[in-house]
Amino acid sequence: MRISKLSLAVLALVISASAVQAQTNNASITATATVQTPINVIGAQQLSFGNVFPGVNKTVAATDLTNAGRFDVTGQASTPVTLSFTLPATLSAGANTMPIDTYTGIHADNVAQTGGTAFNPVTGASPTLSATGGLFVWVGARVVPATNQAQGVYTANVTMTVVY
Amino acid sequence: MKLLSWFVIGMALLGAALPPVVGAQGKPFTVTGVRGVIFGAVLPGVPRVISRTDPANSGQFDIKGVKDTQVQLTFALPSAMNGPAGAQMPIAFGSSDAGYSQAQVIGSQIGFDPKQPFTGTLSKNGRGSVFIGATANPVANQRAGPYTATITLTVTVLP
Repeated sequence: MRISKLSLAVLALVISASAVQAQTNNASITATATVQTPINVIGAQQLSFGNVFPGVNKTVAATDLTNAGRFDVTGQASTPVTLSFTLPATLSAGANTMPIDTYTGIHADNVAQTGGTAFNPVTGASPTLSATGGLFVWVGARVVPATNQAQGVYTANVTMTVVY
Repeated sequence: MKLLSWFVIGMALLGAALPPVVGAQGKPFTVTGVRGVIFGAVLPGVPRVISRTDPANSGQFDIKGVKDTQVQLTFALPSAMNGPAGAQMPIAFGSSDAGYSQAQVIGSQIGFDPKQPFTGTLSKNGRGSVFIGATANPVANQRAGPYTATITLTVTVLP
């Protein structure tokens, strides 16, 4: 019943190899996510005060579908968003300025403004995109021209930022 | 006797060829991916965090082996998930985003850094579970669609 040194050596090597093989194992899982539709914002209509006379305030209401500024938003359907604004305190014509002292806002899920919700653009709003992923936002304001307001074309940028 | 020697060699080689991975006591040593990390709906520009204690969305691996065995846990972690048309979305793992539970209970974990190897001990029943959370960081213009990545856990039995 002799077992040669060679067979013992082979046995030892095989056992140790098996032992090493037995010491490690692994498995994998998957990380998954579904990215929703990005937000898209278009400045659809300018906020237009038209002709303004020195010393006579002029207001464009947010309900004024012709002259109020309008932003059109698209994104993931039925998803809450946050609206914030950068609002100029004045309109400018070269070195001349004309104050804006009031802003108003309305958002609705349709371009006719039906069922719209009023909000203060200074503090922003948190509406929800419609079932088709749309939102319409109107901005009105009041300019306060001085009695000696210089003649000219006055402009400024109103910026709206939308985030989920 | 030469015949006996060849028999021993033959049996040894046959044993080496057998596929099951077994522990020191002959019990199967297995690692199983039970559940993936599920971020669900993610909005562009809005990070989404999945906690390792989230019972529905955290990732889970189960380990079976010999009781009271010490095991080293090592993750292979992705840095991004792959999406449509080659798009990628960064995925991050915090210093306590992984957890080990000897009792295999999600509410009873020892947190650890999945980027570093961690040593745990299997239970009296030879069981243990590993949970993992993560953060998806979509950019503001992240392309819409499904994204996936693979997380691999390697378990090494320590001597």
